[in-house]
Amino acid sequence: MKCAIEGSNVKAFGKAVHALSRIGEDLWLDPLEKGLALRAVNSAHSAYACFLFSPLFFQLYSLHPGTQSPGTPIKCKLAMKSVLPLFRCLATIERNVDRCEISISTEESRVICQFYCRHGITKTHNLSYQESEALQAVFPTNLCPNVLKAQAKLLGDIVRHFPASQEEITLAVSPVRVILKNYYEEESDRAKVMYTEMSLHPDEFDYFQVGVDSHITFCLKELRGLLSFAESHSLPVRVHFGSSGKPVSFSLDDMPLTATVVLATLDEDASAPPSQTAPSQIGPVHRCVGAPSVPTSPRGTLECGGGEKEPEEENLHVAPQGGPVPGEERVLSSQASPVFSPALYLRKLLELPKPPPAAIVTAPGAARSSHTQHGGRGGVCLAPPHGTSPDACTDYADRAHGDRACLCHVQDGRQLYASHPSYCQGSRAPVWCPVRAEPRCQSVGVTQPGMCQRH
Amino acid sequence: MVTENKPVLVLSGGQGEANRTDSFKWLLKTITALSRGSLSTECSLFLCETSLSAQCPKMPLSTHSQPGDEHYVLVATLDNVRNLSNILKAITFKDHAIFNATQNGLKVTVEDSKCLQANAFIQADIFQEFVIKEDSVGFQINLTVLLDCLTIFGGSTVPGVTTALRMCYSGYGFPLTLFLEEGGVVTVCKINTQEPEEPIDFDFCSTNVTNKVILQSDSLREAFSELDMTSEVLQITMSPSQPFFRLSTFGNSGNAHYDYPKDSDMMELFQCTKTQTNRYKMSLLKPSTKALALSCKVSVRTDSRGFLSLQYLVRNDDGQICFVEYFCSPDEEVDEE
Repeated sequence: MKCAIEGSNVKAFGKAVHALSRIGEDLWLDPLEKGLALRAVNSAHSAYACFLFSPLFFQLYSLHPGTQSPGTPIKCKLAMKSVLPLFRCLATIERNVDRCEISISTEESRVICQFYCRHGITKTHNLSYQESEALQAVFPTNLCPNVLKAQAKLLGDIVRHFPASQEEITLAVSPVRVILKNYYEEESDRAKVMYTEMSLHPDEFDYFQVGVDSHITFCLKELRGLLSFAESHSLPVRVHFGSSGKPVSFSLDDMPLTATVVLATLDEDASAPPSQTAPSQIGPVHRCVGAPSVPTSPRGTLECGGGEKEPEEENLHVAPQGGPVPGEERVLSSQASPVFSPALYLRKLLELPKPPPAAIVTAPGAARSSHTQHGGRGGVCLAPPHGTSPDACTDYADRAHGDRACLCHVQDGRQLYASHPSYCQGSRAPVWCPVRAEPRCQSVGVTQPGMCQRH
Repeated sequence: MVTENKPVLVLSGGQGEANRTDSFKWLLKTITALSRGSLSTECSLFLCETSLSAQCPKMPLSTHSQPGDEHYVLVATLDNVRNLSNILKAITFKDHAIFNATQNGLKVTVEDSKCLQANAFIQADIFQEFVIKEDSVGFQINLTVLLDCLTIFGGSTVPGVTTALRMCYSGYGFPLTLFLEEGGVVTVCKINTQEPEEPIDFDFCSTNVTNKVILQSDSLREAFSELDMTSEVLQITMSPSQPFFRLSTFGNSGNAHYDYPKDSDMMELFQCTKTQTNRYKMSLLKPSTKALALSCKVSVRTDSRGFLSLQYLVRNDDGQICFVEYFCSPDEEVDEE
């Protein structure tokens, strides 16, 4: 792959790298027919971002430059700390850089990034990369009941009111009102926390569609990168979301580039009636952790899925690359590998036997604490697809789970957990894992059975 | 009076027109300066005595010879001490410096591990008064302490108000005496001197120079600020053909090259006779970025052995020119081509 970026687009590219650096520690480069995709995911797999630069963005964009034999263009992963310094000072880039050329050289196993600057100065950076599967998250936005579209300036003004250290915020929508407030955990000292709540009228949005009253809590820090990118280009941002527990997607669209950030949201009590979660209430409602959560309301689970076909009965393993799994939803991805679809598992969930009763923690304080440990984030699995055998997974060096376990270490909130009971460090009673059909130690396990368990 | 082991701070009140607010400000600055580590460790060498001038509140320090000067072998005065302190800051990477004064001016040398040498040249005509009674006067002194004394009044924020300096040295065995004055407040500092060591002679002479370029500092400054610090060495390639002048680093994430073509606007002079690639330890060259930041032009020369000479042209506050020079020996692992 070889591409060239001219003039002010170099700064835009740099800004995209900055936004992605706020999400994860690695940058995935995926050259596609439709453009160059830059992706990042955070370690907890609760945030994913993708910036897709169409060929129009580039002065020159070639998947198979002259000498390279046609074949699949190489996909690679770079450490963010090697890439970010190249674009660190955007003001200097704007002033000095005339042109930037990026190419992937398989012979030397290097990504070559060349800056042609003023006064004839050339800066060449040869970065080592790791070959990797492409990273992709599935999130069919067309099926989300709630859609908002707002100018970047509006969103920027909103988040400015929250302190820079604010980790999570809650967005609550109803047909008449949109409320944003900061999310706090009740354990924290009430005297030290500043509560901020903003209420907006639907008219302030360019587009407002609320199918389902909901309030979702997501991480603001990871979003700031995209918002600052949008503000610098004065682009409107579209927000697609559903009920709590389902991911929220922020996307923007400028002719030559599209950017998407998908964040997992905190899973509130799925069985709580809508009236209890009215936007006027301060603080989200937490559920007791011990209780196994099976989504009872039929609305949530199936909407987010996309496939009309029935999923294959027994085999929940993601098939190895190459062969399509019949009945499984496929999302167009460059290497034609199956991409994980959460809907598949959610549907499967309803057919499984009822899990055995688990210890129920009744004290709200205790529930809260375990809730925060686990995070309870539901949503889409964002890890790259991998084969059935642990050895097939090349992405994660961390084999702490053991050879039987899922290697993508899908994480709940920010807590790394093992999927095998023997790795449990705590003393909580196990919950039934419906996917693996075996007990799962809960202190290091999943609180929401719908959580992706990739095996 | 000087006592051997304890620091002494003597303040005597003046009854003249000295501005009391200014003197309080000065007092705070002095206490801050004394509380800094470098001064307290040198307490046995240092005496600071101040007096609020009653007679001449504006400019008590005269730039003309004072009575009682006869015993000094070196007297140098400056209306603006920053003309000296700024240059010295560019070479402060080690505590000790060798001062050598001749008729031509002052040369201050700092060395590191026998591989790096930095020299600052302040010509005699930069000083308002420069009197030297011997051919050559030399001593070694703690540069950090000296700089703290020179900047004892802090940064001058009021335009037009400068700190004046009168530096006096009585010869071998005597301390270096500094008289500093700002806004009617005078500080006297006496810093003990040591036996001067002989600076290393890198034997870098112009006849041996194989490659020489002169660049405008702006572009090099940017390159140095972006250099990958995880690289242990900085490789400099100079050649009459491509890539002409190249800085390379080899860090954890990969390598990087900065190429300056010979016809670049930034290149003021390009004289390269043969292709040479040399590596220098990054840790040795890092202090030179201070000099680079102050300078407007830099000359990069390598000789046949691969030794590097960096010469920086620095303009001081009054527009006068001073020079800072760095000599660095090549990293032994790589033989020059």
